[in-house]
Amino acid sequence: MSAILRRCLAPWLLLAMLGAPQALAQQVAGTLGAVGSDTMAGLMLRWGEALTRQHPGIRLQLQTSGSASAPPALVAGTTRLGPMSRPMNEAERRAFIERHGYPPREVAVARDALVVVVHRHNPLESLGERELDAIFSDSRRCGAREGINRWRQLGLDEPEGRIRLHGRNAASGTQALFRRVALCGGHFRPEVNEHPGSAAVVAAVAEDPRAIGYAGLNHLTPGVKALARRDAEGTRHFPDPRAVRRGDYALSRDLYLYLNLPPGESLPAAERAFLDLVLSPAGQAIVEELGFVALPETRRLRQRQGLALDDAGR
Amino acid sequence: MPDSSSPPSIRRRLRQGRDRLATVLVTAGGIGVIAALLAIGVFLVVEVVPLFWPTGATETISPQALWLSLEAAGDPARYRWDPTATLGTDEAARVSLVPLAWGTLEAAAWALLIAVPLALGAAAHSALFMAPRLRSRLKPTLELMEALPGVVIGFVAGLVLAPWVERHLADVLAMLVLLVPGLLLAGGLWSRLPPRLQQAMPLGWAGLWLLPWLLLLLVAAHALSPWLEAWAFGGDLRHWLEVRLGLDIAVRNAMIVGMAMGFAVMPSVYALAEDALSGVPRSLAEGAQALGATRWQTLWRVVLPAASPGIFSAVMIGAGRAVGETMIVLMASGNAALMTWNPLDGLRSLAATIAIELPEAGPGGQHYRLLLLAALLLFAFTFLVNTLAELVRTRLRLRYRRLGGGP
Repeated sequence: MSAILRRCLAPWLLLAMLGAPQALAQQVAGTLGAVGSDTMAGLMLRWGEALTRQHPGIRLQLQTSGSASAPPALVAGTTRLGPMSRPMNEAERRAFIERHGYPPREVAVARDALVVVVHRHNPLESLGERELDAIFSDSRRCGAREGINRWRQLGLDEPEGRIRLHGRNAASGTQALFRRVALCGGHFRPEVNEHPGSAAVVAAVAEDPRAIGYAGLNHLTPGVKALARRDAEGTRHFPDPRAVRRGDYALSRDLYLYLNLPPGESLPAAERAFLDLVLSPAGQAIVEELGFVALPETRRLRQRQGLALDDAGR
Repeated sequence: MPDSSSPPSIRRRLRQGRDRLATVLVTAGGIGVIAALLAIGVFLVVEVVPLFWPTGATETISPQALWLSLEAAGDPARYRWDPTATLGTDEAARVSLVPLAWGTLEAAAWALLIAVPLALGAAAHSALFMAPRLRSRLKPTLELMEALPGVVIGFVAGLVLAPWVERHLADVLAMLVLLVPGLLLAGGLWSRLPPRLQQAMPLGWAGLWLLPWLLLLLVAAHALSPWLEAWAFGGDLRHWLEVRLGLDIAVRNAMIVGMAMGFAVMPSVYALAEDALSGVPRSLAEGAQALGATRWQTLWRVVLPAASPGIFSAVMIGAGRAVGETMIVLMASGNAALMTWNPLDGLRSLAATIAIELPEAGPGGQHYRLLLLAALLLFAFTFLVNTLAELVRTRLRLRYRRLGGGP
C-alpha cells in the first residue's frame, strides 16, 4: 500500500483509498479486454491505470472505435466488457440474447452531457429549446415557426452573417442524443459540418466567431463558451455538474459498461476488481477529473449493491 | 555416363528449375493481384446485394432513394445523406448518394484544376529549359513532397490554412489577380533585357532568380489588398460576396480542399510528366529549332504531342489519387453534404464518409451496407477512370510511335 500512498498526492484520493474495502489487498491477475466507445476512451484508460496500481497483475487492454463496436464484440465473445456512450438498442440487445440466452448486464458508470458552444467572443448566453432546433434542423419538430440561419435572427448585431454549424458524424452516440433531444428526432440541416470527434468540433468553433456547435462536456476549452439551455418556461439550465447529475439539463446521458454476465453467476475476479474501482469514490473522482460528471451517490451505491461488490463472502 | 559431364548438367537443370520457379512465382503474383482485385469487387457486391434483395436480415431500400430528389415529398433539401435518421412510417429513406458523389468529383476537379497546370508547367520547364544542376536538385525535392502523408497535409489545410484564408480573403484574391500577370510581365521584361543581363540571369536558372520577384508580388498583393477591397468591394469582401452574389463562405470549403489536394497530387503528376517529356529524343526538339521553330512552337507542336501518352497517364493518375484521397478531404472540407457550385461552400466526399462512418456502423446493418455501396461506387469509378486512361494512352502511343517519345 505504501507505494500507492506515495503516488496519491490529492488528499481526496488518499481518503478514498483508505476507505476502500480491505478485500482489495487480495492479489488478482490477468488481462482485461474492453471494446467500445471512443468517448469513454480516456476514462477507461485512467481507470485501467488506477486498476494496475492497485493490482499490479491486471492489465486493461482497450480498443475504442465507437460505441457500435461494443455489441458485436460482446455477442461474438471477443470481449466481456463493452463501454458504450449510449444504451444498447433493441436490435443489439436481441442479437446478444439470441447468442447467449440471457440479456447483457448494463452498469451505468458515469454521467455525461452535451454542451452547445459558441466562440468565446460571441455575446450569446443562452438558447431556447425551439431556437436550438430552428438553428440546427430544417424539420423544426420542436415547434419553431421558422428556421434560423443568421445571427441577426437571434437579436444579435455581432457576429453578422450566417450561422456556421458544426456537429458530430452520423452514427455517433453524440449525434444521436443531440438529434433525439435537441431536434425532437428531426433532421439536421445538410449544412452542418460533421466532424469525427468532439475535440474537432470545439477546435472549429474556437477559431470562428460565427460558428456554433455541440460537443461532449469534457471537451470544453477556454476558446469556446458553453450556452445555457432555456426550457419552455424560460428557466435557464446551465450544464454544470449538479444539473447534469440531477438530470435537470436535458442534453445529458449515462455512460455504460456492458457485461457478459450469466444470471446467477458472480463476477470473475478481474472484472470484479475493475468494477469495484469504477464504482468507488476514487473511480468516480477520475470521472470528475476528466470533465465528466460522477454518478449521484445513491445510484452509485445501488449499482454496487446490484453487482454484489460489497459482499464479503464471495 | 562419364563422371566429368554430370556437374554442368546438374547446373543446367538447377538453372532450369530456378527459371521455372521464377516463372511460377511471377505468374502467381500476377494472378494473385487480379484475384485480389476481383475478390474485393465480389465482396463489395455480395455485401451490398441485401440492400435491394430481401433476405430478411437487412431492411431493403428502393434504389430510387439513392439518387432521386426528395423535393416531391416536400423536403426543404433536395438530396440528403442522413443514414441514421429516425424516420416516420410514411417517410422515404434519406440516403441519397448524389451529394457524396458530387462532393467527390467537385473536390477532384478543383484539385486537378490547381495541380495540372502547375505540374505540367513545371515539368515542361524542368525537362526542356532548366539548367541540369538545378534540375538534379529540384526533381528529388519535388518527389520528396509526394511522400508527405495526407493526414499532415489535411491537418495543415484544415486547421492552419483554412482559418487564415477565411480571415485574409482579400489577400488571397489580390494574389490571384497579381500573380499571373506579374509572372507574364517577368517573361516579357526578360526578353527585352540587354544581352549581358540576360546572360547573368539565364533561362535555365529562372527557377531561382524568379523567387525574389515572386516574393515581391506577394508583398505587393498584401499591400494592395486593402485598397482593392475598399475600391471594388465596398470595404468588406466577405460582406460583398454575401450580399451581391449570395455566396456563403464556409471556413473549410472546396477551394481549400482543392489547394491541399492539388498540393498532394502535384508531385506525382510532375514526376510522371517530367519523365515523359525528358524521354522525348533531344534530336526532335533540336531539329524543330534548327528549322526555325521558336521555343514555344517546339514545345507545343513537337515535344508535347510526342510525350502526350505519358502526360495523359500522369494526369489520370493524379485524377485517381484525387478521387480516392481520404484524409485531406476529411480534414479540410467540413463534411457538409451540400450540392452547390459555390467553391467557398463545404463538400463531402464518398471516401471521407466511409472513413468517418464505417467504424461506427454496425456490421450487417443497413447503414453498413450503404457505406459499402459507396465503396463499390468509388471502386467502380476508379476502375473506369484507369481503364479509360489506359485505352487513351495506348491509342496516343500508337499515333505518336514514329516520334519515339514517351514510355
